[in-house]
Amino acid sequence: TEGRSPYGRATYRYTPLLAWLLTPNVFLAEAFGKLLFVAGDVAAAAVAYRALRRRGAAAGRACGCCAAAWLLNPLPMAVSSRGNAEALVALLVLATLYWVEAGSVGKAALCYGLAVHMKIYPLTYALPIALHLRSGAGPGRAGRDSKARSAIVAHVWQLFVKMLNRDVLLFGTVAGSVLAALTVAFYHLYGWEFLEHAYLYHLTRRDIRHNFSPYFYMLYLTAESKWSFALGLAAFLPQLLLLLVVSLAFYRDLAFCCFLHTAIFVSFNKVCTSQYFVWYLCLLPLVMPSIKMSWHRGVLLLLLWFVGQGLWLAPAYFLEFKGYNTFLLIWLAGLLFLFINSLIIVQIISHYQKEAQVAKKLKQW
Amino acid sequence: CVPPDVQAACQDPTVTQELLQEGFHRDLLVKVELGEDAGGCAVAVRAHLPPGIYVDPYELAMLQQHNVTKAVLIPDVPDVEAPEYLAPDVQLVLSLDSDPRCSRCFRAAVPVHARYHRPARHSQPASVLLHSPQVLLCCCHSHLAAECWQPVEVGAPCSAEGNIPCQWHSTTHRPAQEELVLEVPVGLREHSPLVCAVTLLSTLLCASLILAATCKHGHFS
Repeated sequence: TEGRSPYGRATYRYTPLLAWLLTPNVFLAEAFGKLLFVAGDVAAAAVAYRALRRRGAAAGRACGCCAAAWLLNPLPMAVSSRGNAEALVALLVLATLYWVEAGSVGKAALCYGLAVHMKIYPLTYALPIALHLRSGAGPGRAGRDSKARSAIVAHVWQLFVKMLNRDVLLFGTVAGSVLAALTVAFYHLYGWEFLEHAYLYHLTRRDIRHNFSPYFYMLYLTAESKWSFALGLAAFLPQLLLLLVVSLAFYRDLAFCCFLHTAIFVSFNKVCTSQYFVWYLCLLPLVMPSIKMSWHRGVLLLLLWFVGQGLWLAPAYFLEFKGYNTFLLIWLAGLLFLFINSLIIVQIISHYQKEAQVAKKLKQW
Repeated sequence: CVPPDVQAACQDPTVTQELLQEGFHRDLLVKVELGEDAGGCAVAVRAHLPPGIYVDPYELAMLQQHNVTKAVLIPDVPDVEAPEYLAPDVQLVLSLDSDPRCSRCFRAAVPVHARYHRPARHSQPASVLLHSPQVLLCCCHSHLAAECWQPVEVGAPCSAEGNIPCQWHSTTHRPAQEELVLEVPVGLREHSPLVCAVTLLSTLLCASLILAATCKHGHFS
């Protein structure tokens, strides 16, 4: 509002668009930003509801899923009302998935480019989206006749070569143009500072302060050692491999694939804080109807997730606010939380049944 | 140098500092008792903050907005995220308010935060040493005893009324330094090999579980 760069504020690591959106905080009321994010929360639920109805869910069921997993979930509420803009990115991601499934590739690409500009993590959705759009040209022709295990490599190569159909190229061009235009425009306005804080910081971020990540203590202890780079790379490889395999396995159901993508990305990331959970919680309403799990099992897994966080928060509180040396306990709690997250992901994959939706789609053709 | 007999006539201010609360987030409480009347001067202290702790400039701005604390940081926006070994020293000029307990007493508190320190051997916490701050007087009209107070450059504005130039003064004689120690818990170097091995094995195990489930239930056409 004073005509200066938002990066004059230390620790501002977001797009200038967000700073511009929040200028009414200064002109109107301090609470404007928080109200905007809360509105984003509600809008995200509305898009999720429409997407669910589009996928064939009954009105009551769609409403219930949105309410249970998102609207009444205290975590997104807390994140938005404390002033994090995750709800806006959630809205853009949900809009992208909605438009892809509706067949409006251009609109989807626009939302996607904007989402990636705001937060880098939706970049991982590029592969499943490309595979999904490619498969829209004709289902399952690629590998039905693969004969032996050695054909797997050739099969994967075939998939990637066949990636370049009209929809994929359109999506890539529009999303790429939106991202490039925003990057060039803001670079022109704010210079190198913008690139450094909005993009590069997130790619190279190594936060050695305590957080949910299983790697936190390892990275803290080896921060200045010669192994630091190699360990960082070792931490990245499981994440990369899982994302690749999950993309290939589940791209047909884009919402489910993206949900798994983000859940894996966040759980195996070198830094993990509460607000990252919103990234995959926003996709949970879309995914819930496809997961045939008993209520008991679902509630048990949810409870386990909260217990995992609680077991981390307790020693972290004693470290930060009481000064006890609880580093080992925090580390162990971080590993436990990883196990719990992995268990939940495995359970979700095991109970996933898309047959009903596939049958419905076949009927529609 | 001040001759000893003149020095004896100057009543040194007594400075005490205390760290309230526990853990990484503390309140630094500074109390000063002047030897003689302040004579209409504003009282402040200049504290040297070692790299082990920092003051959040945005928190400070908010406290100043609510008239709770008045202070100046030099440099004005230190890196709040850096670990101790990469952080700069900072100077803090903290204005003190009069303490109702006695006529020459002044006090103020400022929130400080500890940084992460290097991991250590043998479970010793890291120690952050806070030296006694220097007492400053910001005088616009008064004349202070020249043998006790000398003009000094501080790098922070001395509160001015209109266009009257005001000047910072500090004592000619530095009283005995008392150090305050803040202990910060740190990780243990001895844990490194175990932590690295177990962390990587655990992540590999969890990744394998998810990989197995994906291969079993995934639709690879």
